[in-house]
Parts: sequence; C-alpha cells; structure tokens
Amino acid sequence: MDLTFSDTELAFRDELRGWLADNPAPPRPAEGGDDADFAWRRDWQRTLSDAGWAAPHWPAEFGGRGATLTQSAIYFEELGRARVPLPANVLGLLLGGPTLMVWGTDEQKDRYLPPILTGEEIWCQGFSEPGAGSDLAALQTKAVKDGDEWVVSGQKVWTSAAQWSKWCMLVTRTDGDVPKHKGLTYFLMDMEQPGVTVRPLKQITGEAEFNELFLEDVRIPDANVVGGVGNGWKVALTTLMNERAGLGFALQVRLRQYLDDLIAAADERGVLDAYAGELGELHTRCESIRLLAWKGLTDVEKYGQPGPEGSLVKWLWSDTNQRATQLAADIVGPDALTYGNDWSYELLRARGNTIEGGTTEILKNIVAERVLGLPRLKAAA
Amino acid sequence: MDFGLNDDQRDIQGTARALVGERASAERVREHAEAGTTDTGLWKELGEIGWPGIAVAEEHGGQGLGMVELAILCEELGRAIAPVPFLPTVAAAAIIEHGGSDEQRARWLPDLAAGRAIGAVASADSADLVVGGAEADVVVLVDRSGASGAVVAAADATVEPVDAIDPTRPAARVSGGSPELLSGDVAAGVDRALVAIAAELVGVCEGSVEMTVAYVKERKQFGTPVGAFQAVSHKCAQMLLDTERARALVSQAAWCADAAPERLHEAAAMAKAAASDAGREVTSSAIQAHGGIGFTWEADVHWRYKRAQMDAVLLGGAGAHRARVAQLAAANVRSAVTA
Repeated sequence: MDLTFSDTELAFRDELRGWLADNPAPPRPAEGGDDADFAWRRDWQRTLSDAGWAAPHWPAEFGGRGATLTQSAIYFEELGRARVPLPANVLGLLLGGPTLMVWGTDEQKDRYLPPILTGEEIWCQGFSEPGAGSDLAALQTKAVKDGDEWVVSGQKVWTSAAQWSKWCMLVTRTDGDVPKHKGLTYFLMDMEQPGVTVRPLKQITGEAEFNELFLEDVRIPDANVVGGVGNGWKVALTTLMNERAGLGFALQVRLRQYLDDLIAAADERGVLDAYAGELGELHTRCESIRLLAWKGLTDVEKYGQPGPEGSLVKWLWSDTNQRATQLAADIVGPDALTYGNDWSYELLRARGNTIEGGTTEILKNIVAERVLGLPRLKAAA
Repeated sequence: MDFGLNDDQRDIQGTARALVGERASAERVREHAEAGTTDTGLWKELGEIGWPGIAVAEEHGGQGLGMVELAILCEELGRAIAPVPFLPTVAAAAIIEHGGSDEQRARWLPDLAAGRAIGAVASADSADLVVGGAEADVVVLVDRSGASGAVVAAADATVEPVDAIDPTRPAARVSGGSPELLSGDVAAGVDRALVAIAAELVGVCEGSVEMTVAYVKERKQFGTPVGAFQAVSHKCAQMLLDTERARALVSQAAWCADAAPERLHEAAAMAKAAASDAGREVTSSAIQAHGGIGFTWEADVHWRYKRAQMDAVLLGGAGAHRARVAQLAAANVRSAVTA
C-alpha cells in the first residue's frame, strides 16, 4: 500500500499545475447565456490543445501525451483544483475519440480525431431516447440502407451540446428481426444537414444543457458506420465505459471545493458548531469518494480488473453532492434560494446527479447483480 | 498510488482468514457467547504466534510491523466475531506504547504483545464501564479530548463484572486502584486504537454482507429468492457501499499511521466515524434482511449487531468524531484563506 504519487506522476502534476498557473482561463462571460458560455469553453480548449493539454490520455500519435490512467486522473483533479472549465468538446475528447481509437478505421481516425482535439468540431452523443433510458437497447431510431447511404428517422433526447455539434455518435436500429441488443449500428452523423432538428430542453435550473434531437430522413454515408453493421451495442459500450473514467476526478475535486466554501460560509456566520455533524459527515464522505475513485483506478491499472468502485463512486458522489447543496441552504439561509448565485444553482442542478449517466436505482442493480451476485428479477413482460 | 497489500501482508491476511475461519466458527462463537467466556485456547494460540504484538516495537517484545498489518488482523477477527480480547488488548498496547513512559512500556508491553496480559480501553468519562474489563490485567482510561490518559493495573482496582449486550467481550466496572498518568503522545496512541476499532468494524460488516447475501439467495417467497426483489437487493447494495466506504477510510488511516503520521489524526477520526455508522447500519440491515429469523437468538446475526454496537461507542461515537473532522477541516480552510 502506498497512497502517494510516483516521481513521474508528481512531475506530470507539477508541470500541469505550473502551466495552469501561467495560463489562467479568462473569466466566465457575465452575459450572453449558454452560447457565450460555450464559446468561452471552446476558446479555453483551443488554449489547452495548443499547449498539448486538451487530451493527455490520448496516445501521442493522435496528439495526446500517452498519459497513464493515473496521470489522466491527476489531469482532471488539477483542472478541478484550478477551477478552470472543462474543455468544450468533452464528449469528443472523452467518449468519441477513444471509441474511434478502438473501433474506427484508419481513414476515420485521420479524418475525425484532429478536429476533436482542437475543438474545431464539437461532438454529441445520440444514445438515449424517450422510450429508451436505462433500457438503452430498447431504442427505436431506425436506419435503412439505401445504396451506399443510410436513411435515418427517429428521436433522441438528453443530447448535451447538440446545438453546437458537428458530429453525433448515433446508435440506431438497423435490424428489427433479431434480439434487441443485436440489431444496432453505431454511426457518425453530420449534424449540419436537412432533417436534423435540435430543440433545447429547458431543465429545472432554467438553462438548457440538453436537447431533443429529431431526425427525419437524415442521410448518413456507409463510410460513417463505426465498428460494423449490427455491432452497435458493443461500440456503444466502449463509449459508455469511457463515460465516467476521468470526469469523476474533476467532480470529486469540485465537491471538496464546494464543501470548503460551505465550511467557510458556516464559519463566517458563526454556525460551524451547529452544523459540525453534517459538515464532518459530508467531508468524510467526500474523502471516501476520493479514495474509492483512486482505488478503482489503480486496481484497473495494476490488476487489469475494475473492482466494484465504479458504480459505488458515482452513487456515493451524486448522493453526497445533493446532501451538500441541501446543507448549504440551511447554512446560508433563504439567500441561498434566490436565483443568480451558486448555492441555488447547485441546489437545482444536483437533482440531475442521481439520474444522469446511470440512475442510482440502476447503479444499485449493477452492484446487487454483478458485485454481490444476487439473482435478477425477471422484468414484467 | 496503490491500495493493494504487499506479498507479506497478503500472507498475513490469508493465514489469518484460514486460522480464524477454522477456530472461530459460528458454532464456537455461539458457544462462548452463550457462556459469556473468552476462547482461552484460541487466545493462547494467538499470543504464541505473536498476533497481539504485531504492531508493537521489537524492543518491547512485539513484531515491529505496522498498523496496516494490525488492521488486517482486526478485520479478520471482526469478520468472525472471534471471542478473544484481541481488540481491547492491541488498543491498550498502542496507547501505552505512544503515551507511556519507559517504565510503563517495560511493565506492560512485553506481556500485552505476547498475549500473557489482557488490556482494555475506555473513555474516562464513560462512568467507568470498561468493554472487556472483566478479564483485563490493565485498563487504559482516555479523556474526552483523546489527548491525555492514565493506566490502571486491574490487580490494584475494584473490578465488578457487568452483563453487557456483547458477551464475547465481558465488560466490568473498574474503580479505585492507582491510575498512573500517561505523559507521552497519548493522542498518537488513541488514533491508532481508533483505527484498530474501525478495522474490526469493517470486518464485522464484511461478514454481515456475506452472511446476508447468502441468506437472501436461498430464502424464497412468492416463488423467487427474496434477494431478487429490489427492496432487498438494494438494501444489500447499500450494505456493501457502507462497508467499502469505511474500508477505504480505514485503509488510508492505517497507511497514515505507518507512512504519513502527520495526517493520522484526521484520517483516524474519519475512519472511526464512517466505520461506527457502517457497523450499526450494516448489521441492522442484516437483521432486517433475514426477516423474522434474523430476530431470533439462534440465527447468529445478533452477535454481529451487538459487537458493532459496542465498537461503535468505544472511544467516542461517530458524532464525536464527525465533529472533530469538521473542526479540523475548518482549521484547514482558515489557514488556506490566510496563507
């Protein structure tokens, strides 16, 4: 057991920390809403990619640094620590790129990877549908072959960044006659074409991170199939496996900062003692999230096998984050419930945490079935 | 960064699991629990192979290994609810080793390390009820702050056995005698004792999860194993989460004791807070998931619940440790602001 970083890892961290100190992100735009915010994050990604810091986890041949899993986690911890935004094209960098590296043809890698890195082409993820959330394989969006093209119709939902995206990782049904996991195909769809309609989905915070995506006779060339026709489920799993790999480390650091801010707020208001129990509990939970995240990652790195930590970390983080935002309202008082401050924003935004990227209920099923080996209840027919 | 055990530590864990599994079976535990006795045969054996002294320095008759190794043994014994005074003894030894004078160390550590003497620890303000005190040769009393304490030889004191809910660790009221003040770094010893208690709790939890999962896979109602119902399976998942959360914090605290003692104080408080809560929650859920059977004397789930309750309050309940964590975190936030 050794809970310290190696010299190489420390050197990586210090280099990044130094670079972030010398290259601070410009302040978040005060006006201009979601569009201005996104442009800000896009500029920031350009700055990162110019310095070779947009995707250190990518292999050097694709413009990354070939960072180890540990270094990649350090990268996200440091972005969180420096309180800079995540790169605008986070879905391309974390999900799309790595999926192409596994399943893409050489032509696809050459064509798509460079503009992901620079943020020139933004990516979104067309997986969930109104009728296919936790049960993703039940998706209905259809693609029908027509010459050397596919014609696609259907509806996707929860599509983050769709309004700014050039490419969509689209999972469709190409064969309705085989069991549901088998008839799927994964495409790269050009978002800038007739038949693609993006409708922002206003969420309980009042902003629109997500969109509905309506597809009507959209055409996709055969060359944009990823991983082969009928192999969409496997390709989608590669994407999903990358979903929480690095991001969790940034979120964990943000939670620690949020709790530190909350402790300072309680101290300032002279109510530290009154809330010491809950603050101590959340601080302890936050530390266990950090440890479990690192344990999961280093187990994969050393033994090639993920332990149960992945699902546990996301479950524990989302629950703890929600509790922290509730406690903030108690400590700060009614002022925390007015629009325009971080407390009220986080209080509302955190409700999504136990739903997005795998609901807590599904995570509990995963733990029960795959970690504890409990029998699965047959779903109602 | 590596959370895994090294080869030697894995050997210790494997040996411990095999030995404890064989000598402290559920039947043996029940036999001793019902009689309110310690398994003196097993305790003697553990003393002979040097377990109680695993973390005690060699110059005091121990093996000179670390807190990580001690935590492994506490966890394995906790997993079986082994009816031996291991935890109270190693907790007392840790506090005497760090907080005692040369004379106090020389007087107690060689015997504690070899299992010839039995130790016990208690909060000085807990009205003199000492867990494991009925059979202890030496009792360490720690004040509420955990920064000062005293040591009492049982031979000089009045020891009145008391029936407590965990009969595998016979309790007593200890009064009188001539408490000698501990003048060293009592806090460093108390923090290690907290880690040992937390490690035992993790073991208690782990055994409870295994036992419960096995039961809900077998037990059928409505034509299906009850473990297939999400009301039950999600409860089991929560038991695992609570256990793993406590385990991660205990691992860190044990490692800090050996490799980063400047971080031990906070790490030990977090570990004890999380493990105390986990111990109660997990063993409560174990009873609930067993249904009516779980409430019966013969189901053996209750020994776990009772041990968890005793450990949870030993050297301060979760609330006291959470409050300490908050104070330490606030001090860090303040110093970051002024820095």
